[in-house]
Amino acid sequence: MDMNELETRFHQLSWKLHPDNFVKATAEERELALERGSQLNDAYRVLRDPVARVEYLLAIEGMRKEGATKQQAPPELLEEVFELNESLDELRGARAANQDGAEMAALRRRLEEAAKGFEERLADVDEQLMAAAKEWDATVHSGDRAAGRAALGRMNEILNRRSYIRNLVRGVTQELAQE
Amino acid sequence: MAYSDKVVDHYNHPRNVGSLDKNDPSVGTGLVGAPECGDVMKLQMKINPETQVIEEAKFKTFGCGSAIASSSLATEWVKGKTVDEALAIKNTDIVRELALPPVKIHCSVLAEDAIKAAISDWKRKNAADAPAEKPASSAAQS
Repeated sequence: MDMNELETRFHQLSWKLHPDNFVKATAEERELALERGSQLNDAYRVLRDPVARVEYLLAIEGMRKEGATKQQAPPELLEEVFELNESLDELRGARAANQDGAEMAALRRRLEEAAKGFEERLADVDEQLMAAAKEWDATVHSGDRAAGRAALGRMNEILNRRSYIRNLVRGVTQELAQE
Repeated sequence: MAYSDKVVDHYNHPRNVGSLDKNDPSVGTGLVGAPECGDVMKLQMKINPETQVIEEAKFKTFGCGSAIASSSLATEWVKGKTVDEALAIKNTDIVRELALPPVKIHCSVLAEDAIKAAISDWKRKNAADAPAEKPASSAAQS
């Protein structure tokens, strides 16, 4: 997506819908301009964030309906997520027991290491997501529906991995920030 | 949104938290997750090869109260049951017992999946002709 064009169009439309232009308009028109303005802001928020854009696309394509489709978690990632959560638990336990010294420091180091790894993975996953989104864009232009569905499926799968990795990064960062 | 008393009870006093030796051929391990909320659930059971009775069950879940309660209840239910009886447990049974609200149904699905995953891991380990001490080529690798 052309981000410059998004900016330009957003500003043009915002300008058009600006309340100053509706001073002499009827109450009904003012109301409508306000409503359109808030829709415009919502749309802009989703469009400028690549991940939000993919989530929105999958939602309107019916790929992520709550309860309708069962989302699958990649097994090898589950294993890692589980272990890291256990380390987090250990760190919490050690802190609660007022433990200090070598053991605690080692635990922290391990978590910091893991956090760095997961941050890199998050960047990686985002890259994959953008690649799949590009493929989807291409199928929109070519009209190849089968390839489009395949790209949507890939984006869905990548997003599932992403939510685990993002949660972990968040959890570890939060835990390490506490002192 | 309030949790039911039963969920709160399982959450505050989870039954059978812990782990079993995943390299033990009589132990089946199921590790499942719900990507929507990033829950992970590990359920393990020790199964008697002669009688097919589940003698021990342990779980550890990182997730919301409903996910913890669902897995806690699942370990309680499978203990003493045969493998076939355990496979017959449906997520709807868990929903009913814990009075889970519609938005938390996926937690009960997770618990049912975990039971099935643990049993199929055990079956894989004990597949016909496989020597008992053969290390499982299962997902349970660290």
